[in-house]
Amino acid sequence: MTDHTHDPVDVVIAGSGIAGSTMAAELAEAGFSVLVLEAGPERKLSEMVSSQIWSRRLRWAGPEVIETGDLVGAANFAMGWGTGGAGLHWYANWYRLHPDDFRVNTLHGKSLDWPITYDDLRPWYDHAQTYFGVSGDAKADQWSPQSDPYPMPPLPLSRQSQALKKGFDAVGLALVPNSLAVNSQSYDGRAGCILDGWCDAGCPIGALANPLVLQWPKAFKAGAKLRHHAYVSKITTDPSGKRATGVEYLDEQGARHVQPAAIVIPACHTIWNARLLLLSANDQHPDGLGNGSGLLGRHFTSHALTTIHGLFPDETEPYRGVTGANTLCLEGYDDKTPAKGAFGSRAWLAAQATKPNDLLGLALARPELYGAALDDYMRRAARHYGNMTVLCEETSIPENRIELDSQKDRFGLPAAKVTNTLPKDNAARSDLARAEGLKIFKAAGVSAPWAGQRAPMHMMGGTIMGDDPATSVTNSFGQTHDVENLFLAGASLFPTPGAVNPTATLAALVFRTAKHISDNRAALLR
Amino acid sequence: MRRRRFIANILRTAALLGTVPRVVLGQSQEGDRPMSLTDPEAETLSKWCDLLAPGAARAGVARYVDQNISGRFGESMLLLRYLDSGAMLPFYRGGIAGIEQESQHRFAMGFARLDPQQSGEIVAAAARSKTEAWTTPDPNFFYFISRSDAVDMVYGTEAGFAQLDIPYLAHIDPPKPW
Repeated sequence: MTDHTHDPVDVVIAGSGIAGSTMAAELAEAGFSVLVLEAGPERKLSEMVSSQIWSRRLRWAGPEVIETGDLVGAANFAMGWGTGGAGLHWYANWYRLHPDDFRVNTLHGKSLDWPITYDDLRPWYDHAQTYFGVSGDAKADQWSPQSDPYPMPPLPLSRQSQALKKGFDAVGLALVPNSLAVNSQSYDGRAGCILDGWCDAGCPIGALANPLVLQWPKAFKAGAKLRHHAYVSKITTDPSGKRATGVEYLDEQGARHVQPAAIVIPACHTIWNARLLLLSANDQHPDGLGNGSGLLGRHFTSHALTTIHGLFPDETEPYRGVTGANTLCLEGYDDKTPAKGAFGSRAWLAAQATKPNDLLGLALARPELYGAALDDYMRRAARHYGNMTVLCEETSIPENRIELDSQKDRFGLPAAKVTNTLPKDNAARSDLARAEGLKIFKAAGVSAPWAGQRAPMHMMGGTIMGDDPATSVTNSFGQTHDVENLFLAGASLFPTPGAVNPTATLAALVFRTAKHISDNRAALLR
Repeated sequence: MRRRRFIANILRTAALLGTVPRVVLGQSQEGDRPMSLTDPEAETLSKWCDLLAPGAARAGVARYVDQNISGRFGESMLLLRYLDSGAMLPFYRGGIAGIEQESQHRFAMGFARLDPQQSGEIVAAAARSKTEAWTTPDPNFFYFISRSDAVDMVYGTEAGFAQLDIPYLAHIDPPKPW
């Protein structure tokens, strides 16, 4: 195939999702010429069709991820495909890591520490919640870290939450309104949520902050460019190996393109960030870019998720609300050692709007039912179902990793392989949470609640940040220790995952990194 | 043109097998997608899915699967895309062959000819990973995926919501069920 060499830009970003689009908007507004390369197709709001069936087209359709270990699966479900990436179907749960999440190794002698503290990141969290538009009740949620007041009041308590709250009250735990990047009222020119429960299929009215309504309009206005069907396959460096010179990407026909850039920023999801650096090995970096520590790809983490399900005596309107969660319980989150042999924080996300079908739908909550028994269940569940999900922390260990496999993808490149096995004390923590959830449901009046299988949710690590180049891939700004103009954006930077959804932290880090790049413009563009 | 051929083939097969064409094909959909499954394969899948979620055959599950394994992976609406990025046609074809294999092993006849108790026995075996002859693709995983396809057809469309007597609440109505 013929090479196509394009005109140089200041900044090239791989990935148009929340990390990539936020970075693009910030840097374009700061005066950089910015180009974003997106592997998937162009997306429009009109494609956010209210249907679990149609929504699957928004999910990853790129090369396969090979997954091994006891806490893997459904990577394609979590990733996006096209403009906005997973930002088109994310659930907008918006939480900060807690101060202790940044110092797990210091406090507990396991996992890792971050190179920054909560106080370092707090102003960026505050900025991010204003930028995205977050609704919630910080006063009621006294277990979340200190923050500015949320820009909007919380969404109303759903009937599911009202039913579940009886159980939380009975066991002495506080169930409070969830914090979400979902408008509870008009905000920043975007509509308020109408609680139709279709977040999973994309929010065309923009009540849920997604890149098509939030970041991309800002980025385009500031002059950023977006190129689709551009699958970044390699980051190139100069002969010294100390500076990136741009990227190579493949188009739909497999033709190779060369895109020179002064600054390179992979922001293409945890798995692909690490894989891209591994794929970019060259004579100066034989084990991959940014791999001077030998830790590139290592310290992959996830959240161990268990969902508790039940049919309530009263109607719960499970089809209505938000897909993320209507209510939240973080009480007890900071106790990472709740019992001997059990380790990690946990968070309860309660009352998720649930439609009949799809991976998180009513029917797959009871996968063993079929035929008439399935139909009987579906008719009752459609009106009486309730659920809540617990996220449990996974300790960051080097054995859990992203690496290149001997299998090749459709472009002939080594496939990404993810190995993730939940450490025993985290599994014990997850078991405790499962028992706690079933107890809450019974206390809420559900006679026969059941728990789903433990599953992974969220993918983090692999290009972890740290102060020491010997034990990390990047510094706290996501700048690789080995290649000075190569930055990473996304949850791949997280040394530890806490037990809350990662997007608020991801966004806070993007804003902080964008400011750093802007402040060091002359040195980086030289 | 391919779609017309698909319909013609199904009609011919249906006549031979004495089945009602619209039950095999189900709901008509616009489009001109190539046909991937053979007629007997479509019939087996249709009957199988109807046991998992009654009404799936009439709602068009065979055509739904066929259409979505025939186009580009990125356009597919099947739940399988979350869990396996490999080629979809071999997966479904293998699963259908597994059903037939199990049917021959247990009852010495094709799945289409089994009575409800016999066919139900094979579904139960797949659901509990207790198949005797069918080993690949994993019968339990095939059950999981094909059950999801059946559920999509019966409960996941606007008609399905109406059948459950719950409001659809669309922001943007699907241009067609699938």
